[in-house]
Amino acid sequence: MEAQTKIELSKREHKPLQVNPIKHSQPMGAALAFMGIQNCLPLMHASQGCASYTKVFYTRHFNEPIAMYNTSVSDITAVLDGGDYSILMAIENITQKNKTLKPELIGLHTTGLTETKGDDVRSVGTHIEIPYCYVNTPDYEGGMESGWALTVKALITQHTNATTQIKQSKILLLPHVSMQPIEVEKVKEFCESFGFFTLALPDLSTSLDGYLSEGQGKLGTGAISIEDIAGLGNCESVITIGSSMNIAAKALVEKNPNIKHLHFNHLMGQDMNDNFVAALMQMRQIQPKPLVKRWRGRLQDAMLDSHFLIGSSHFVITGEPDMCVGMCELLQSVGGTIDAVIATNYSSVLESINAENVFVGDLEDAVPYFAKADLVISNFHAERLLHSQEKHTALMLRGFPNYEELGNQLKNDQLYEGSTYFLFEVANALRHIKHEQH
Amino acid sequence: MVNRAKIKELMNESACSHSKDKKPGAGCDAPKPGMAAGGCAFDGAQISLFPYADAVHLVHGPQTCLGASWETRETLSSYEGRDHTYMGFTTGITTNDVIFGGDKRLEDSLNYIMLHYKPEAIFVYSTCVTAMVGDDIDMTCKLASEKHGVPVVPVHAPGFVGGKNLGSRIAGEAVLEHLIGTKEPAFTTPYDINLIGDYNVTGDMWQYLPLFKKIGIRVLSSMSGDGRVGDIRTAHRAKLNVIVCAKSLVTLCRKMQERYDIPWVSVSFYGKRDTTFAIMEIVNALGNAELIERAKSVIAEEEEKLQELLVPYQKLFAGKKAVLNTGGNKAWSIASGLQDLGIEVVATSIRKSTEDDIEKAKEYLGPTGILMKAPASEQAKIIDERGAHILLAGGRSLYTAIKKKISFIDVNQEKKVSYGGYNGLLNLAEDLKYAFANPVFANVSKKAPWEIA
Repeated sequence: MEAQTKIELSKREHKPLQVNPIKHSQPMGAALAFMGIQNCLPLMHASQGCASYTKVFYTRHFNEPIAMYNTSVSDITAVLDGGDYSILMAIENITQKNKTLKPELIGLHTTGLTETKGDDVRSVGTHIEIPYCYVNTPDYEGGMESGWALTVKALITQHTNATTQIKQSKILLLPHVSMQPIEVEKVKEFCESFGFFTLALPDLSTSLDGYLSEGQGKLGTGAISIEDIAGLGNCESVITIGSSMNIAAKALVEKNPNIKHLHFNHLMGQDMNDNFVAALMQMRQIQPKPLVKRWRGRLQDAMLDSHFLIGSSHFVITGEPDMCVGMCELLQSVGGTIDAVIATNYSSVLESINAENVFVGDLEDAVPYFAKADLVISNFHAERLLHSQEKHTALMLRGFPNYEELGNQLKNDQLYEGSTYFLFEVANALRHIKHEQH
Repeated sequence: MVNRAKIKELMNESACSHSKDKKPGAGCDAPKPGMAAGGCAFDGAQISLFPYADAVHLVHGPQTCLGASWETRETLSSYEGRDHTYMGFTTGITTNDVIFGGDKRLEDSLNYIMLHYKPEAIFVYSTCVTAMVGDDIDMTCKLASEKHGVPVVPVHAPGFVGGKNLGSRIAGEAVLEHLIGTKEPAFTTPYDINLIGDYNVTGDMWQYLPLFKKIGIRVLSSMSGDGRVGDIRTAHRAKLNVIVCAKSLVTLCRKMQERYDIPWVSVSFYGKRDTTFAIMEIVNALGNAELIERAKSVIAEEEEKLQELLVPYQKLFAGKKAVLNTGGNKAWSIASGLQDLGIEVVATSIRKSTEDDIEKAKEYLGPTGILMKAPASEQAKIIDERGAHILLAGGRSLYTAIKKKISFIDVNQEKKVSYGGYNGLLNLAEDLKYAFANPVFANVSKKAPWEIA
């Protein structure tokens, strides 16, 4: 293999194209966020293909019917329409066709196509009777993580009532896009165990959690309603998990300057969870429940059990920045060596990762590092690439999309508990390939 | 460039049966806002061309177009070089390109691909955004082709011009304009055919190609399952175009007939009857008495072999009734397969079928068969009335199977094995055998302790 030139972490691209991309688009993040709102009708302002691709993508990742609609922009409406026609007609057609559909929110988000043609999606809202939230998410900017965060920000900016009142012990969690439904549920439960009334925005814990019920895939079934969003202004605190979510917390603090903002880059590993628990203890002035303490001890035991394997291993991680940061810190806390982090997009949080190679790129860039690693954490696209290399490198599937495995919605890597499972999964995967080598 | 007249022409294919009743000039229906659900023209174009493993497929557009679509189709290839069908290439344009144009990025990307991957050809797909900002993709491709000495084919199927079907037509157009007739084959035989519209998903083609070989039919080129760019360039020398289960590439076949005097036949390789019929259609069209005789004997031999293997299944499935809810040609092609296995198909969906498909479905199901126009609301009742034992449908109908406590096969899910040709029928039979035996749908319909009064 030719000598590798080091790729620096930069907002600028290092080549004119992407080969085997890992980056996903802003509209896809926005669509997912709207699915986490109760009775929301996610409406992609796009040609039919953008929505069709997104729908198939999530259907295969979650193995669930997906609620997604589109405005079916055609070549003619792309030129002649300012958005009024296609958006309003789409809402009318969708609700006329299915009379039992009673959306409580229209979640409209744009795409590269409709941003290029420059529709005024804000003014369209004045003609819609159903509550309406718009967000500008061209897919030639940012990525899935920013599309998700922009949507949360838009929901707060457009729908949360301003106030100066505070309701003690009511908090809002803002999870980053890579957190799977069960993870949102676990963090919510964790906060509730400290006596907080806890809301999450978006809340996928009841939306794409793989639950058998009838009539799925028509509207979002998230655990937070538009009424809840309107009333978020009186939260005592807003807790962001993932640096991408800071913009949304800022929007909430603007609604009520008395809200405290607590930020955590992630909730993986002992240190970050200790900080999290300390913050919750201080707010409520109470001790954690016995099970919380028990799980910390289990995590410590897992760290000791796994440190030998992980401590002698090299890792490559690819994915959304907020996900990568947490995994790096957890693996490094038990002596793992991170050879490279290849992120989907630039985020300032990437600067905080302490690894030899951290940059924005694709799987073509990642392959030379794969060849030296013991374990790769990546989406399913890495699988075929690893199969074609000589060295046995283990693969742990994380991030979007994972078409290869079932039960993605129930994978839990957060808190003391999830971090424990994570370490065991890593160690077992490593043991598997290290045995093969002998 | 793609222009209005071209789109109109492609949308109004005179060889399409549904165009007969329309006023001259009226094309396929434009999508109604909110109502278009399937893939876009770009999707269709990509599906039609992507199986060329020796070419790089470069998507000139923003992130969604390729980011969500690469490595999603099991279109197998026997290509021994670097198989590009498992790879994704996109210019992934950014705001700058939208403002200043993306031609420079496209040119740099083409140079990069030629430097690092050296494919036999490059297909460049325009998308909604790059079409709107007016990138001169034709010129950039032309210059790159001259510079690098390989075909660089622009495919103008931005998503907003229509659905998958139109995109597939546009792909056919690009191949016709840029590739077909640009190279002479090393040799020809009187039995050379082009296979059009089989993408070799899960190796469908490989189920029937060995039979072709036995009979003496030679596949000169394929569009595009297990295809090679070098072969499709010689396609103008074939004696017959064989279009497989794909209405959309009728246009390509008609134009090749006009331009190169190549006749075409439309066939399907699902089930025993269709496979036999398809082979006979092909050899009859080629018109050589010896070939026809050979085909007959190969068919007889294969059918006998298959029949022996089918007997245990037919015993197992005797008296079983099925309801089929799927789109397009599957409405009759899977029905045909089921019938070959001895299963009675009591109803099939014609919601998304063309006139031809409906005719065929009618023929296959007979006078007692029900053609469902609104399957979502009809199928539960039909299952009760006819006492059906299995529902073959998309994931959304799962709940119907649970409620009715009958077996279920998700026919829209990406399948892992081929149902094509004679042997594919055995794969279908295996899947059915397990589906009938599986108690899961009855089990998950059980009430929870707190639901029992």
